[in-house]
Amino acid sequence: MTPPLAAAVTGESPAPAVELVGIGKRFGAVVANDGVDLVLRRGSVHAVMGENGAGKSTLMSMLFGLLKPDSGEIHVDGVPVQFDGPLDAIAAGLGMVHQHFRLFDSMTVADNVVYGAEPTRAGLIDRRAAAARVRELSERYGLETEPTAVVGSLSAGARQRVEILKALHRDARILILDEPTAVLTPSEVTSLFTVIRRAADAGTTVVLVTHKIHEVLAVSDEVTVLRDGRVTGRFATSEATSASLVHAMTGREIDEVRNPGTGTTGAVALEVDHVTVGDPRTPAVHDVSLTVHRGEIVGVAGVSGNGQHELVAAVLGTVQAASGRIRLLGEEVGGRSVRDRRAAGLAVIPEDRRGEGTAVTLSVAENVTLGHHRTAPIGASKGLRRGWMSIRAELARARELIADYDVRTSGEQQPIGALSGGNAQKVVIARELSHGAPVLIAEQPTQGVDVGAIESIHQRLLDYRAGGGAVLLVSHEISELLALADRIVVMYSGRVVAEFSAAEATTARIGAAMAGAAEAAAAPEAAPDTAPAPADTPAPEPETDRTP
Amino acid sequence: MTSTPTKPQPRARRLLATALRHPAVVPLGAVVLALLIGAVIIAAAGLDPLTAYAAVLEGSLDPRQLDYTFSVWGFICGMALAAAIPLRMGEFNLGGNGQMVLGGLTAAWVALNVPLPGILLVPLAVLAAAIVAGGFGALSAPLATRFGIPIIISTLLLSPIAVAVVSYLLRFQIGEAGSAVAQTPRLPEQGRMWALGDLSYSNTGLLVIIAMMVAFYVVDSRSAVGFELRVVGANRRFGAYGGVRVGRLAFGAMAAAGAAAGIVGAIIVMSSPYRLIDGALISPGYTFAGLAAALLAGGRPALIPVTAILFTILQVGGASMERSADVPRQLSDVLQGVVIVVLALRTVLDQRRTERSSA
Ligand SMILES: Nc1ncnc2c1ncn2[C@@H]1O[C@H](COP(=O)(O)OP(=O)(O)OP(=O)(O)O)[C@@H](O)[C@H]1O
Ligand SMILES: [Mg+2]
Repeated sequence: MTPPLAAAVTGESPAPAVELVGIGKRFGAVVANDGVDLVLRRGSVHAVMGENGAGKSTLMSMLFGLLKPDSGEIHVDGVPVQFDGPLDAIAAGLGMVHQHFRLFDSMTVADNVVYGAEPTRAGLIDRRAAAARVRELSERYGLETEPTAVVGSLSAGARQRVEILKALHRDARILILDEPTAVLTPSEVTSLFTVIRRAADAGTTVVLVTHKIHEVLAVSDEVTVLRDGRVTGRFATSEATSASLVHAMTGREIDEVRNPGTGTTGAVALEVDHVTVGDPRTPAVHDVSLTVHRGEIVGVAGVSGNGQHELVAAVLGTVQAASGRIRLLGEEVGGRSVRDRRAAGLAVIPEDRRGEGTAVTLSVAENVTLGHHRTAPIGASKGLRRGWMSIRAELARARELIADYDVRTSGEQQPIGALSGGNAQKVVIARELSHGAPVLIAEQPTQGVDVGAIESIHQRLLDYRAGGGAVLLVSHEISELLALADRIVVMYSGRVVAEFSAAEATTARIGAAMAGAAEAAAAPEAAPDTAPAPADTPAPEPETDRTP
Repeated sequence: MTSTPTKPQPRARRLLATALRHPAVVPLGAVVLALLIGAVIIAAAGLDPLTAYAAVLEGSLDPRQLDYTFSVWGFICGMALAAAIPLRMGEFNLGGNGQMVLGGLTAAWVALNVPLPGILLVPLAVLAAAIVAGGFGALSAPLATRFGIPIIISTLLLSPIAVAVVSYLLRFQIGEAGSAVAQTPRLPEQGRMWALGDLSYSNTGLLVIIAMMVAFYVVDSRSAVGFELRVVGANRRFGAYGGVRVGRLAFGAMAAAGAAAGIVGAIIVMSSPYRLIDGALISPGYTFAGLAAALLAGGRPALIPVTAILFTILQVGGASMERSADVPRQLSDVLQGVVIVVLALRTVLDQRRTERSSA
């Protein structure tokens, strides 16, 4: 990265990289930020934590020029600035990686990275220079990537590296990462942290928004905690503890819930029988068989892109399996429509909340109604009212669920796109759990939700199980699987390569199987501790040093 | 980047910024822009834009002409329905002409050939028109689900085929022998739309169209199908994941759209001069005006009657503008075109924005 002009001229100025003073922001009646002060020391990693809707994304959006503060000042390198848009912020040396990627799927990595700041030759984009630039940056920061790959074909972790490269390409000295780990697998998180540390050591200032305490403890230098738009805690990470952070965030203690492991499982509820999905030569899911019984939670572990999502899509019916059978409560549903399968007793919490799980322009009420609109109390499945909806019942039910799931929103008529990420996730969970379907598939159910809400969602999943529900839990969080699952299967390259009972499962064993360790696949019992770690990087292993 | 010290934004500016984001701003802006462009064109032709626009208003709102104006408003509303129903689920029906002409042909054939009293014959002709045109419109749905041909394309390509077939039939098969114009014989007395009092243009057909608009409003806001249309229009993948049978929904929406267009065709044919004349259904441009009205209303049922007024004024007033201000009526088409282009741009930009929007 070329040294920024300002720094070269003024030399080592003692001013912090960024200083936010008394920042305030309202959305109608909602106070998203209220007198927030934040100081980012140059070359430090600063974590910002807080419950869903605490105002973290709003604060970051203002720093990056996406939103304008109602009050307060922003100083960059000691100079007060006013951004009229992200382009101003980029010019001032900021870069932001959004929780939802903003990449062009059909373009290559290199094209995406240089987009908006292309190296040109004779007025045309110099593709070779672009690729060289990407290679150089990725080497310098250890961001593994292939410049000529098409972004649409990449995993979440790889896409995120592209986003970071994009910011670095424009010489960002201050890097804002809004919940970068929400969609990453443990090994991807580990390598992201290596990159973050490397960038910080090279003088880049990093702001990291996250809900995960072990990540904050592992990678940050300082922590600021927000609650209801105000700062409720500032810590040097070396002095922070898990308990003190949780207390600052929530104002109370959180008990981690665990699967009691008792109770008897019932009949088979979901049966996936030798299912293959995709082109038979390179199938996304390869001859997978698994069963989930009533009263049981089966966890599916795996690095993203190893077929878990396609398996879920095939069970739901948005994708047809190439071969094999899928039975719901003993009934064969292969080839049937999504509606039929749902009617047969299936609910699904999808991984892609914005693309599949919600319609951002529709209201919270409409989002929580889909799938319930033909049944009582909103609709009716037979009789004269069949096919008609009661709007009053729809709104009343939405209000009930909003209260029950503690969704922070200004009302059931608010577009769901205006909710914070975690609150939108709660709406999705409310909608699917309220089906009371015998079979529930939960893909990354706690993505983007805060610590308190994670425990409450975990408790709900356990209650579901206790009530005789069959749950297939797909998660990147090994700790989540360990806390909840009765059995854990590991997917690698589209196959189930290992299966562990709750008693046998450990982070190391699952991690080894996720990395495709052959011995784990052949014999789950055999010395899993010697298997290679998910990534051979010196960074801390986030899952193992998690403090309860 | 401006390096000026930050100060709290003045309240007025914030209010203005909020006001500018109101959903009505773009549609109204489109209309204003269209009128301005029209004014420039008129002025460039050496005429006075104010006189021309005054002529438009006078012509369309002339009390002696209101009967005619209302009938046009009805046709534009009907064709707006044909565009708006699929638009609600994010599909564009550009085949209104073909659907309307098939409806007109069916109604004419029934009225000429079925020996029934008027009380049965009129509803039968309208129903038959709805079924044939609805079936034709629905054809685009399986083309999209089975063969991946987008509805916007298949409707656009199928429409001229239907128009040409009807034209051929009129000329060589069922047209009135010995007539210089390709047209059917006059429909018999019992095959004509019932009159409304002594009005000469508006007839019961207008009531049929109003009933269709009320039905669309109720279905859209109160029914499960209407809800599914809106959900799919907002996010197709969300709909599919939630169990909406998107293919069937498209089939239903296109059938309803085709039926609406077919009914408009039937009403026109069964009104004075009581025949199907080659080209007469298409040349007034109801399809285009209806599409513009539907786009301007964003597909929202409650707004369609309002936006249709605007295009009715342009349509009806265009003729009198030509007469009294010497401005060719094609200017109306230009204005409609500008409105459509601006709104289409908005749709594209909106999509870009949602695709790349933040948490
Ligand atoms: N565009 C908007 N319109 C209205 N309200 C908004 C908008 N953006 C955010 N809010 C509200 O502001 C508050 C703060 O939201 P923000 O997205 O900053 O939370 P967050 O701390 O990032 O939460 P999460 O961890 O769930 O992502 C929330 O109550 C949210 O509903
Ligand atoms: Mg957020």
